[in-house]
Amino acid sequence: MGGILDAELFGTAIRQATPLILAALGGLLSERVGVVNIGLEGKILMGAFAAALGALLSGSLWVGLAAAVLVGLALALIHAVATQEWRTDHIVSGVAINLLALGLSTYLFRQIIVPREEAGESSVVPTFGAVSLGGLENLPLLKDQSWLTLFALVLPFVLLALLTRTRWGVRVYAVGNDSQKARMMGVPVKRMRYLGVLLSGVLAGLAGAFLVLAATGQFRENMSAGRGFIALAALIFGRWHPLGAAGAAIGFGFFEALQMRLQGQPVFGVQLPTDLLLMLPYLLTVIALMGLLGKMKPPSDLGN
Amino acid sequence: MLRTRVAPALLGALMVLTVLGALVLAAGKPLGESFQIILQGATGYPRSEAFGPLDAWDAVLHDLTLLVLTGLAVAVALQAGLFNIGAAGQLLVGALAAAWVGTQTGIPAPVHLPLALAAGAFAGALWAFPPAWLKVRRGAHEVISTIMFNYIALYLTHWLVTERLKDPAGDAPQTAPIAEVARLPMLHEAFLQASWGLAIAVLVALGLWLALYRTVWGYETRATGANRDAADAAGAPTARRMTEAMLLSGALAGLAGAIEVCGVQYRFFEGFPAEYGFDGIAVALLAGNHPALTLVSAYLMSALRSGAYHLHAETGAPKEIAVVVQAVLILYVAAVYLRKRRIEG
Repeated sequence: MGGILDAELFGTAIRQATPLILAALGGLLSERVGVVNIGLEGKILMGAFAAALGALLSGSLWVGLAAAVLVGLALALIHAVATQEWRTDHIVSGVAINLLALGLSTYLFRQIIVPREEAGESSVVPTFGAVSLGGLENLPLLKDQSWLTLFALVLPFVLLALLTRTRWGVRVYAVGNDSQKARMMGVPVKRMRYLGVLLSGVLAGLAGAFLVLAATGQFRENMSAGRGFIALAALIFGRWHPLGAAGAAIGFGFFEALQMRLQGQPVFGVQLPTDLLLMLPYLLTVIALMGLLGKMKPPSDLGN
Repeated sequence: MLRTRVAPALLGALMVLTVLGALVLAAGKPLGESFQIILQGATGYPRSEAFGPLDAWDAVLHDLTLLVLTGLAVAVALQAGLFNIGAAGQLLVGALAAAWVGTQTGIPAPVHLPLALAAGAFAGALWAFPPAWLKVRRGAHEVISTIMFNYIALYLTHWLVTERLKDPAGDAPQTAPIAEVARLPMLHEAFLQASWGLAIAVLVALGLWLALYRTVWGYETRATGANRDAADAAGAPTARRMTEAMLLSGALAGLAGAIEVCGVQYRFFEGFPAEYGFDGIAVALLAGNHPALTLVSAYLMSALRSGAYHLHAETGAPKEIAVVVQAVLILYVAAVYLRKRRIEG
């Protein structure tokens, strides 16, 4: 076992956790103002595609990043308009957004990127390299991490400060817990909700961008591979708290890293089934939902 | 009636055709010819040399069987006010259970097929039970727990089919083929995928229609979905009805998986098509959760899929056109017909 739990494993865990943290915090911003967001998965996927396409066509990683954010915003705008203006059920809108993203990203991938590959052009874009922190980057966990990972590690603390120390944070709390009362107190409920949902689109788009611009360098069909749902699980497991959600995301990232490490590598002569490790985040979330880990209380005005 | 029902429906149809046309044009294919090919895929007409009505109906009726069942699964849960996003996972465990029973020896021939199908339905119901329990007893949102159970099913069945139930006769991650007597016959000798499972699906739809709209149980279930507090106050056993609806929902999704195994695939394998479970959401929403209308909406969805697939085969246009159209349709239906109707959280 000693050869498995090394610094590199934890470094991989944090890398794997990066998109989960970003998306989970995105989900948090949306759910804390009362808008259920199961469309994270679709926004990550579409963000990943936009990042790849933007970087491929322009040759610039930053254009790719901007494209991912814009696409995340666009999908979030659909969700915001559907839930706030058309008063569509939040779940239905989220399901539609996930389907739309799956269909569109695959369609566009096959229309634009696959023909380029078939013509012999590369579809691989360069990735954001390891960031330098004046020596700090030599610490085991921060070795070879991109700025997006560092951003994801700092963001929970920033969000916590914003949520607990600013007027905006108080308003978020008010809207999420009792939107009627908040409205009577003069809080612009609808504007708060738009902001929360749109910010979740930005963060989910960034999560998608990470997959392409920091992790793999290219888009593949359905490459979000359920990360939006793991992020949702992390959000619940972390009880809608920025540090809790990020911590859960890192824990789930650790399972992924462990699973990658254990592929084909026996522990004490026993081959551990990697499927069971991949299952753990979901299983743990179910256990949390059972109330075995203390009371799970979502924002009380969620979904209205 | 004209303003509230007919006009939105026509507008919806127009929008679907517009989106479809835009995607076809964006793929660089001629509009008229493409629509003709899609129609060919959906109905078999106009007949082409390579692709006749039988080919089209084989594809459409196969999808119809699965989509009726998964559509009903989502619909019956929604009737009780529960959103079952877990049909995909329930379909997977149902399929694996049916394949397991189908490969057992020593089961008398006449009961082998019914037993395999029943095992699928039972496994699906079993998979839906924890989310139902969590909802009723713990107040945990069923959407979250069914999503979690989808992934647990995905990894569990993957583990079982690669490690425990793998066909020893080969290296492929799949079960052995099920016994001949455990297979559903095809509807037509020329068919390759449309089995008599369709008859089961249609019977289930009609039975569910009667159960939901002609019995006290159905009335109480629908009342629970419409307004749980009011139903509670009126003395309906709402927790019980919700649990039953969820179990029934899981059973139907599991049955869909079992029919796919016994009717078409004859085994369970890695990458089993679970996405029919998600397509059931669109089918149910489009049908307004009515079992009889589910037959119609499942047919429309099947025709769309088969048409898009045929367009893909003929011209190379991405078949995901169907997925995009389906997404737009869900949003439209939700925005126009499902306004303000809330699913209790």
